[in-house]
Amino acid sequence: MKQSKPIIEINNLAKCYDDDAGVYDALKKVNLTVLEGDFLAIMGPSGSGKSTLMNIIGLLDRPTSGKFILNGVDTETLSSKQLSKLRRDKIGFVFQNFNLLPRLNIMQNVELPLIYKKIKSSDRKRKVREVLRQVGLEDKIKSRPNRISGGQVQRVAIARALVNSPSLILADEPTGNLDTKTGIEIMNLLKSLNSQGVTIIVVTHNPEVVHYAKNTVLVRDGLLHKKQASA
Amino acid sequence: MIFQNIKMALISIKSAKMRSFLTMLGIIIGVFAVLLMIGIGDGVKSQVSSEVSSLGANLLVVYSGKIGSESSAKNGQQQKSSGGGFNIASTIGSSTLTQNDVISIEGTPHIIHTAPYNIISSVVTYGQLSTSSPFIVGTTSNYDDITQIKYSAGGFFTPQDNDARNNVIVLGEDTKHNLFGETDAIGKQITIRGQKFSVLGVTKKSDGGTSFGANADDMIYMPINTANKITGLNQVFRIITQVDSPENISNAQEAINKTLKSNHGGQEDFSVLTQADLLSTFNTILDLLTTFIVAIASISLLVGGIGIMNIMLVTVSERTREIGIRKAIGATSSNILGQFLIEAMILSIMGGLCGLALSYLVGMLVSKFAGITPVFSLKALVLAVGVSLFVGVIFGVAPAIKAARKHPIQALKAL
Repeated sequence: MKQSKPIIEINNLAKCYDDDAGVYDALKKVNLTVLEGDFLAIMGPSGSGKSTLMNIIGLLDRPTSGKFILNGVDTETLSSKQLSKLRRDKIGFVFQNFNLLPRLNIMQNVELPLIYKKIKSSDRKRKVREVLRQVGLEDKIKSRPNRISGGQVQRVAIARALVNSPSLILADEPTGNLDTKTGIEIMNLLKSLNSQGVTIIVVTHNPEVVHYAKNTVLVRDGLLHKKQASA
Repeated sequence: MIFQNIKMALISIKSAKMRSFLTMLGIIIGVFAVLLMIGIGDGVKSQVSSEVSSLGANLLVVYSGKIGSESSAKNGQQQKSSGGGFNIASTIGSSTLTQNDVISIEGTPHIIHTAPYNIISSVVTYGQLSTSSPFIVGTTSNYDDITQIKYSAGGFFTPQDNDARNNVIVLGEDTKHNLFGETDAIGKQITIRGQKFSVLGVTKKSDGGTSFGANADDMIYMPINTANKITGLNQVFRIITQVDSPENISNAQEAINKTLKSNHGGQEDFSVLTQADLLSTFNTILDLLTTFIVAIASISLLVGGIGIMNIMLVTVSERTREIGIRKAIGATSSNILGQFLIEAMILSIMGGLCGLALSYLVGMLVSKFAGITPVFSLKALVLAVGVSLFVGVIFGVAPAIKAARKHPIQALKAL
């Protein structure tokens, strides 16, 4: 296997919350490198700090200390507008639920990142069709989110995450609200995208997911533990 | 992006139709009230000004008392008024004008016709029918020459009627109809202040026209000498004169001023006003009134704006999750700000346009049933759209900032 370049480099990263409840260390001295083409599962019980880690990787939150380099760009000095752009161009999000805007149809939902990128309409439509074909939902283009199944909603979310050709897809409990069979379908979809070269990070507490990942890390009490990919 | 924001806004307005309508209602009512009031004000103004100009630009009216207008102030430079104000008693008290003034004015250069104009209060009776609505005027046949009255029957009285103090009258169309119905009035006897008057003529319907402030169709004209005979007074209420051409009007105005002043022992206790002076006095009063009413109506616009702010704040809270998703997939804070600001603006512009349409509609009803035709100018249209846009921006900014400031993580956690 050829040597891939790192997409994510995290060095001595810590996140400390200081609110009414007092000072609380969510992450302590985390080090993590994710290479291009990886399929990483971040596991951990709730309250372990895995959501905090995902938010930081997703540029939704900033670390208290330490370095986070995304695609060779040090994110520490970026403005909130620059972070928005980086998020738009480099990261595709898939959330557990309420992924789609209920008032917009599937086409409009998937189109959103391209609108924010100011891509012109005809190119947007072409690209949206392409990614919907990739997730097998070409025929639902005019449907509303409340007219399709939970598994289809996740497929649409994945299509939306793909539409900007990001370096990384970040999925937060993508199977959390799905039955086992549909969950397997979604994980297979992610796996096939990964085999096409898309880097994927899945945050989950579902041990089944580990079977699809190339690498797995465990977060516990704000610390990261490496774990070998299980067979 | 703006186009996308407009599209987004329309989608979300459409998805909550009832709420959007109620939100707009404040703006609708505000814009409607403001526009209708301005429209009615402008309508009355243009109606009055067209009536005044139909009387001719070459008319001068002499009033008893000093009315502070520009031209009379110009003419009376020597006499500085210490109070500086306008005393209403001087115009409604017993008149300072006399028959002698009428004769003096007739002798002034450029004057063609001069008519005195007295108002007599009385009820009018014919048989069993009695009415108090007609405006009874004592004048001379010159009045007919100046105003060019049109008749549906008979005609005006003659100078001989005046000299002989004959009990003859001319009726307005409505007055005739009130007393006689469809039957012929000419030669019939009606009673005014206990005396019998025979009807000489009936004027033609003027369709809402006025005669120096009174309804032209509910009038009774009689010779001024006859009027003085029955009232026992010998004063003149107003003097209406016609100048040979509009160019000479200010010369004539000055000459009359001078003549009357010497008649009145150097005191300027009268006013010589052109139609333009009258119009500007009237417009000043009407503008003041309109401004006042519009100011009150504007309060409802303000309330409408607050309504928009209120709903937008609720909307922002409700759509926290949406804001989170949008931010996660790459919307900047200014994208979110723009989206909510444009939504508020569209709500208020839609409200403004509905208000415009409504005021136009009600304006048509007003002109049909109240006899005033509101005038809706381009100015009003621009005002309606402009003001509602302004309201949308002012009251949309706070909710939009609230939306833009939402932190993506907090926004994503919200359910």
